[in-house]
Amino acid sequence: MSSESCRCMIEVRNVTKIHQSGETEVHALRGVSCQFPGQTFSFILGPSGSGKSTLLYLMGALDEPSAGEIFVQNRSLSTLNKNERDTYRREKVGFVFQNFNLLKNLNALENVLAPYLPQGVSTEQKKRAEALLKQVGLGQRITHRPSQLSGGEQQRVAIARALLKRPLLILADEPTGELDTQTGEEIFNCLREVSEQYKTTVVIVTHDERYIRDTDYILRLRDGKIGDVPFIVKTLDGLAELNVAGWG
Amino acid sequence: MFKFALRNLLSRSLRSFLCLMGLTIAIAGMVGLFSIAGGLEETVSQTFGKITGIVAMQPGAPIPLFSRIPRLWGEEISQIPGVAIVNPEIWSRVNIIEGKPVISPPRFLLGTDLPSRLALKKGIYRDAVYAGRFLSLEDQGTLNTVVSRQIAEQHHKQVGDTIDVNGQEMTIVGLYECGSILLDIAIILDIEVVRDVTRFDPDSVSCFYIEQTGDVKNEVLVSQIKDHFRDRELASWQPASLALANASQSNILKDLVNVIDQTLKGTTDAPAKAKRKPDIKKQKNKPSAAGTLTEKTVQAQSALEVRSAADWGDRLETFTADLDIFLGLMTGIGVLIAMLSIINTMLMSVMERIVDFGILKANGWSNRDVMLLITAESSLLGVLGGILGGMLGLVAIFIVNWKFASQVHLYASPGLLLFGVVFSTFLGITGGLYPAWWTTRMTPIDAIRRG
Repeated sequence: MSSESCRCMIEVRNVTKIHQSGETEVHALRGVSCQFPGQTFSFILGPSGSGKSTLLYLMGALDEPSAGEIFVQNRSLSTLNKNERDTYRREKVGFVFQNFNLLKNLNALENVLAPYLPQGVSTEQKKRAEALLKQVGLGQRITHRPSQLSGGEQQRVAIARALLKRPLLILADEPTGELDTQTGEEIFNCLREVSEQYKTTVVIVTHDERYIRDTDYILRLRDGKIGDVPFIVKTLDGLAELNVAGWG
Repeated sequence: MFKFALRNLLSRSLRSFLCLMGLTIAIAGMVGLFSIAGGLEETVSQTFGKITGIVAMQPGAPIPLFSRIPRLWGEEISQIPGVAIVNPEIWSRVNIIEGKPVISPPRFLLGTDLPSRLALKKGIYRDAVYAGRFLSLEDQGTLNTVVSRQIAEQHHKQVGDTIDVNGQEMTIVGLYECGSILLDIAIILDIEVVRDVTRFDPDSVSCFYIEQTGDVKNEVLVSQIKDHFRDRELASWQPASLALANASQSNILKDLVNVIDQTLKGTTDAPAKAKRKPDIKKQKNKPSAAGTLTEKTVQAQSALEVRSAADWGDRLETFTADLDIFLGLMTGIGVLIAMLSIINTMLMSVMERIVDFGILKANGWSNRDVMLLITAESSLLGVLGGILGGMLGLVAIFIVNWKFASQVHLYASPGLLLFGVVFSTFLGITGGLYPAWWTTRMTPIDAIRRG
C-alpha cells in the first residue's frame, strides 16, 4: 500500500501510550501509525483492552502520548500548549461518550451550550443550539434535564453538543453501548446524517460491527497494535488510501 | 457561570445548607461580639457628646466615684480664666433600693451643689427632665430627688412617690432620661444631704464639673487647671482598703498606742485630725504597711486630673482597641471552623463531580474555567453566609438590647455589617481554592474514566 494521503485529516505516527498504575505499567498503545481521511465515517474496532479508546482520546487531545505524534490537519497536537489544546477541544472536536456524560444540573439546551458557558453564550449560538436539538428530534425537550430524557434522547443531546461548534472531528466512544438495538441504529443514522450535512469527519470506537457500511474506513487494533488479522480497507471511490505501518 | 454554580449548590441542597449555616453562625457571632465594642463606643460617644464641660478629679481615679479631692479647691478653680461655673459633686454607690440589693445595673447617689448646678448653661440632667421638675434652691437640705426613667420604672415609681434608698426615704420630684446607660443611673439630691447620708468627708468632694466661658480653648484650660495644682500634693487614687490603711498616716496599732498615750497625758486632738484629713497637702507619702504610690510620681504630676469629653473618648479608644483584639481572637476560632467547613464541603462536592469536570474539560473548558466555577460556588456560599450572618447578628443584638435595655447597649455599625459580608465572601473564595486546585491535577480523560 502506498502512503499517499491527499485527504488525510488525522495522521498517527508511531504513537505509544503507557499508563502508570502504581508500580505497574500498562502499554495501551505500542507504536501505532495510521491515517484517517477527512469527511468520512471511520471505525476503530478491536477487543476490550486493545487501545481503541486510548487512541481516540489521544486524537481528541484529552491525553498525551508517551511517544510519537498525532497530526490533525497537518498540525502536531504535541506542539499545542495548554490553552491551544483547550481551544482545539472547544472548537475543533466534538465528543460523544458511551454513557452520554451530560451535566445533570443543566437542561438539554444548556448541555448543548456547555462548551461556551465560561465565555458567555451569544444569541446566535443559542439559536443554533435550538435548531440542532430540533434536527435531532428533540425540539420539544429542550428544557428537560437529563434525568427526564431517555438514553437515546440523552445521546442525541450529546451529538447536538458535539455539533454545535461545527467541528472538524467527531470522536465517538461506544456511542450505542448503553442503548438497545433500535435506538442504537437511530443514533448511528443521526450521526451519519449530520456528519454528511456538516462535512465532519467521524471516528467511532465500537464493538458492534452491524452499523459498518461499505464506504466506511476501518482500523483494527489488538493489544495496542494494529491487528495482524487482515483488516478491511475500503476506499471511497479511490479518493484516498489508508496507510498502515508494516504495509508497503 | 453563576447560574450554573447556583444550580450546582442547589443540587446538593442539604450539604450546601449545612455549610451555609456554619458560615452564617460564625459571621453572626463575629457581628455580635464586635457589637460589644461598637455599643460601648456609641454609648460613650453619645454620652460624652452631651457633656460639654470638663471634669476635675483625683489623678488615677477611673471615675468620680473613686475620687476624693479637697472641697476648697473649687474656689481656686473658679478663679482661673476661662472657667465660668464650678459645680462640686459627690458620688456614692447605692446598695439598697426599696429593700432590695442593687447589683446590676449599678445605681449611684449624685450630690450636686444646687446653686452652681442651676447656673450651668447646659445641665445634662436638668435638661433631660421629662416629668415633674428638676431640683431647685428650695430643695437644699431636703431628701427631694430626681431619678431616671429606668430607676422609676424598675421600682414602679412616679413623680410624687417616695423611694427608699440606702434606708433613706426620698421624695421624687422629677424624672429624667438622658438616653445613655452611663448617665441614667444617678439619683440626684442636694450635695450636703448626700454628704450627710453617706458620711462623706466634709472637706472633700468627688469631683468638680467645670463649665467653660468659651473664651479659652479646652486644651488650654485643662492645661491651666493642671498647672495651677501642679505644686500641690495629693495621693493618687488607690483601692479603698489601702486608702483606709493610709488614712491613719501610720499603722492602726500605733494609732491605738497614741490614743492611749494621749488619754493618759490628758490630750485628745492630734490623732483624730490626722485621721480626718488623709488627702490634704503635707502628707509625705511615707511608705505605709500596704505600700502605695511613691512620692516621686506625685510630685511629677498635677494634683488634679482634668478631663474633657475628648479625653474620655481617647481613653475609651485605647480600651476598645484592646477589647477588639480579644474579641478578634474569640471570633477567630469560629471563623476557622467555618473555613474548614467550607473546604470540607467543597472538597467532597468536587470529588463527587470529578467526571463532570472531565466532561467540561473535554468540551474545551480550561483549568482556569473549572477553578472559576468552583470558587464561584464557594463564594456564593460566602456572600449568602455573610448576609444571613449579618441579619442574624442584628436580630440577636436587637433582642439583647431590648431585653437588657438598662444594662447593655450593643451596636453593629454599617461598616461592621459590610465587613462581615466581605469577610465571609473572602472566606468562601479562600475555602474553595484548594478544592478548585485539586481538580486541575487530573487530565480530562482520567477524570472521565473515574465514572
